[in-house]
Amino acid sequence: MTTAAVRPGPAPGRGVTTPHGPLAGTGRLLRLALRTDRWTTAVWAVAVAGLTHASVVALAELYRAPEQQAARAELIAAPAATALAGPGHGLDDYTLGAMTANELGLWVMVPVAIMGVLAVSRHLRAPEEDGRLEILRSQPVGRAAPVVAGLLAAATGVLVVGAVLLAALLTTDLDPGGSVLLVASVVAVALVLASATAVVAQLTTHARTSDALGMALLGLAFLLRAVGDVRGPRSTSVWTWASPFGWSQATAPYTLDRWWPLLASVAAVVVDVLVAAVLVRRRDLGTGLLPERPGPARGRVAGLVGLAWRSRRTAVLSWGTGVVVTGALIGVLAAAVVDFVDGDADLAAILGEPDDAVAAVLALYVVVLAVAAAAYVATAVGAARADETSGRAAGLLVLPVPRVRWLGAHVGLAAVAATAMMLLAGLLMGAGAAVTLHDAGQVGRLAGAAAVTVPGVLVVLGVATALLGLLPRATGAVWAYVAYVGTVGLFGELLPDGADALSPFTHLPALPAAPMDWPPVLAVTAVAVLLVAAGLAGVRRRDVDG
Amino acid sequence: MTDAIAVRGLVKTFGRTRALDGLDLHVRTGEVHGFLGPNGAGKSTTIRVLLGLLRADAGEARLLGGDPWGDAVALHRRVAHVPADVTLWPQLTGGETIDLLGRLRGGVDPRRRDALVERFELDPRVRARAYSTGNRKKVALVAALAADVDLLLLDEPTSGLDPLMGAVFQEVVREAAADGRTVLLSSHVLAEVEALADRVTIIRRGRAVSTGTLEDLRGLTRTTVVAGVADVAGARRALTALEGVHHLAADDAHVTLAVDAPALGAVLAALAAHGVRSVVAHPPTLEDVFLRQYGDELAGLGVGDR
Repeated sequence: MTTAAVRPGPAPGRGVTTPHGPLAGTGRLLRLALRTDRWTTAVWAVAVAGLTHASVVALAELYRAPEQQAARAELIAAPAATALAGPGHGLDDYTLGAMTANELGLWVMVPVAIMGVLAVSRHLRAPEEDGRLEILRSQPVGRAAPVVAGLLAAATGVLVVGAVLLAALLTTDLDPGGSVLLVASVVAVALVLASATAVVAQLTTHARTSDALGMALLGLAFLLRAVGDVRGPRSTSVWTWASPFGWSQATAPYTLDRWWPLLASVAAVVVDVLVAAVLVRRRDLGTGLLPERPGPARGRVAGLVGLAWRSRRTAVLSWGTGVVVTGALIGVLAAAVVDFVDGDADLAAILGEPDDAVAAVLALYVVVLAVAAAAYVATAVGAARADETSGRAAGLLVLPVPRVRWLGAHVGLAAVAATAMMLLAGLLMGAGAAVTLHDAGQVGRLAGAAAVTVPGVLVVLGVATALLGLLPRATGAVWAYVAYVGTVGLFGELLPDGADALSPFTHLPALPAAPMDWPPVLAVTAVAVLLVAAGLAGVRRRDVDG
Repeated sequence: MTDAIAVRGLVKTFGRTRALDGLDLHVRTGEVHGFLGPNGAGKSTTIRVLLGLLRADAGEARLLGGDPWGDAVALHRRVAHVPADVTLWPQLTGGETIDLLGRLRGGVDPRRRDALVERFELDPRVRARAYSTGNRKKVALVAALAADVDLLLLDEPTSGLDPLMGAVFQEVVREAAADGRTVLLSSHVLAEVEALADRVTIIRRGRAVSTGTLEDLRGLTRTTVVAGVADVAGARRALTALEGVHHLAADDAHVTLAVDAPALGAVLAALAAHGVRSVVAHPPTLEDVFLRQYGDELAGLGVGDR
C-alpha cells in the first residue's frame, strides 16, 4: 500500500538508441541511484561539513597564541592521543592547519568512509538481494552496468560530501591549497574503502553481511594506522603505510602539502575495481562466491530473546570485539602516557602529576568507548525498526505476543550487550594498565569508570527506543544524537559553553579523573529508564508499520 | 451462533488516503468466506485491523467476540494469519522459523507440522534468505495451518505458489473447514474462492459493494445463452421485446444473448416457442460477478462490458 502522493514521472526520453554491451544502461541506473541517494547524501554533506567547520572555528578561537599551540602539540603527541588523532605532522609549529589535519582530519575521514562503504553495499548488494536487480537486468542493461553504476553512485556521494566540505573549509582562515589536499585525502580514503567493499560484497549474497565486511575492513584500516602512528610518528611506520587512512594522513596538508601518498590510494581503487569486476563476471545473479549451506530442519530458537540474539549475534560480537579490543589497547598504552608526562617538565606543570594525567586521558577514552557502545545500541534499535518495516515484526505480533515483549527483547538484549561490552572493555583496559603501570588498583578503577558510563549508553538506547515508539519514521534520527554525543565526547572542550548539556556523559562523573558521585549517575539512569518506558508505551499505542 | 468476524462501518485513513471507508464484513462461524477486491481496495488493511496491528479510526470490529485491538494477545491464541508478502528472518531456516512461531504460540502438534511440510514439499533446511517467494509462502502456510486455532485469516495465500501447491492448499483448507474452523480467504484467484467459499464479500475503495452466497451473487449477474433455433428471425423478434435481454446476436441457426436472472424463464419460453434445438447456458462465474462490480473501471480501462 502506497500512501505517498503519486506524481507523474518523467516522460520516456526521446531519441533512445538501443543500448548494447556490458555497460549498456549504466547512465540510467546511475541517475536512478543518485535520485534515491539525494537526501542521504545531503544529510551527510551538511553534517560532515558543518561539524568540521564548527570545530575549525573553535580550534582557531582556543589556540591563538604560539604557547597555547605548543602545549596542544605536547598533549596530542602523547601515544594515547596519537592513536585517536594522526601521525603528528607539524607538531613543532602547531598552527591551525597542522591542528586541523592532525586532529580533525581522521574524524572527517572516518564518517565519509563509512558513508562510502554503506553506499556501496546499498547499491551493489541490497537490490540484488530483494530482487530489484532482476527487474533491472531484464531490461536492456549490461552485465557490468549495475556494479559500475553502484560504484559511481557511491563515488558521487563521496565527492559531493567532499565538495561541500571544501566549500566550508574555504570560508575559514585555513590555507586554500592545504584545504584542497585535505579534502582530496578524505575523498581518497573513502573511495579506497568503498571499492574494497565492492570486492568483499561479491563474497556474500546479503547486504547486511556486505555492510559488516566493509565496516570490518574500515576498522582494520583504522587499527593499523593507530598502531603505526604510535610506533612511528610522522608516517614512518610500515603499519601506517598498510592502511588507506595512513596514506591519506601522510599527505600532511597545511604543513608538508604532499600529494604523492595519494598515488597509493588511486592504485588501490583501480585494483579493487578490477578485482570486483572479475568476481562479478564469475558469479550468478543472486548468489555470493561463498556457498549457502543447509541448516537445521528443526528449530531450537527459544522465544523472542533467542530470536533477537540469533538475528543480532554477529552485530553484538563484532561491536563487542571492537570495543573490548580498543579498551585493552588503551590500557596497554597507559604506561606510554606516564613516560611521556614524566619526561616533560612543562607538560607535567600543565597536567599535574603523571597519575592525574593518566587518569584524565583514560577518562576521555572511557567515554570514547561508551560512544562506540552507544552506536551499537543505535544499530540494535534500528534493527527492531527494520523488523517492523519489513513485516517480520507483524509476523510475531499476530501471535499471542504482546508488543512490549517484542520490542523489549530487542532493547533488553541491546542493554545487556552494551553493559557487558563496557564492563569487559573496562576490565581489560584496567588489566592492561595494571600490567604496564605495575598498579593492580587500575583494574577496579577502570572497570568502575567503564561501569559509570553505562547509564549514558542507556540514555542513547532510551532516545532510540522513544523515537521508535513515538516517532517511528524518525528512528534513524538517533544517529544525529550519537554523532552529537560523540562530538561532545571527543571535542567537548572546543565547543561553546552549554553546547554539551544534552549529552549524558557531560553529567556523569569522569572516572577515574573525578571522584564517584552517585546523584548524577542515578539521575541519568532514571532518564534512560523513562525514555525506554516512553518508547515501550508508544509502541503499544500506535499502528504497526510494514 | 455468533459471527466469527463482525465489522461495521470501519474507517481507517493513512494521511489523506481513506483505505477503509465504512466497511461492513460479516463472517459466520464455521464458514469459508471469500474476500475479494482489486489491489488497494483495503483487503489487507481490514485484515491488519482485525489482527490488532492497526487501530481503526471509526466503526466497530469484533473478532471471535473480542476487541481486536484491546484483546489482541488473547485473541491471537485462537487466530492464525498468512500475510500477502511473507518476510522471514534471513538467517533462520524454514524449519527453525516454523518451530519458533509455533513455540511463541505455545506449542504446535509436531505430527501436523511434519505432515504439512511434506504435503507442501517444503525443504525445511534452507535458510530463509535463499527461499523463493513461493517457498517463503509455504513456510507461512505451514506455520499458520499447523496451529490449532478457530479462525484462519489468509491474505492471498496462494500467490507465488505453483498450481499443484494451489491444489494442495485447497485440500488443506477444506479439511480445516471440515474441522469446524472459520476461514477468511482474501484472494485474486477467483476460481479458488469459487471452489472453497461458502459466502463472498466484494469490496471496492474501502467499502463492501456486495456480499452473499455465490448463488445470491450469481443472481445479480447475467447468464450467457447460446441456443440453436429453427426460426431464428422469430426468436430474435420475441427476445428483443423482452426486458433483461442484452447483447442479442444471431447467425443462420443460433441466437446468442446475455440475460438477467429474473428474465431467464421468459427467455426459455421464447426459445421454446421458436423451435429450440439446443441450448448451452453459461451461469456467471465469480469472475463475471467480480468484473460486473468493477464495470465502470473496466470501461475506463477500455475493456468491454460483460
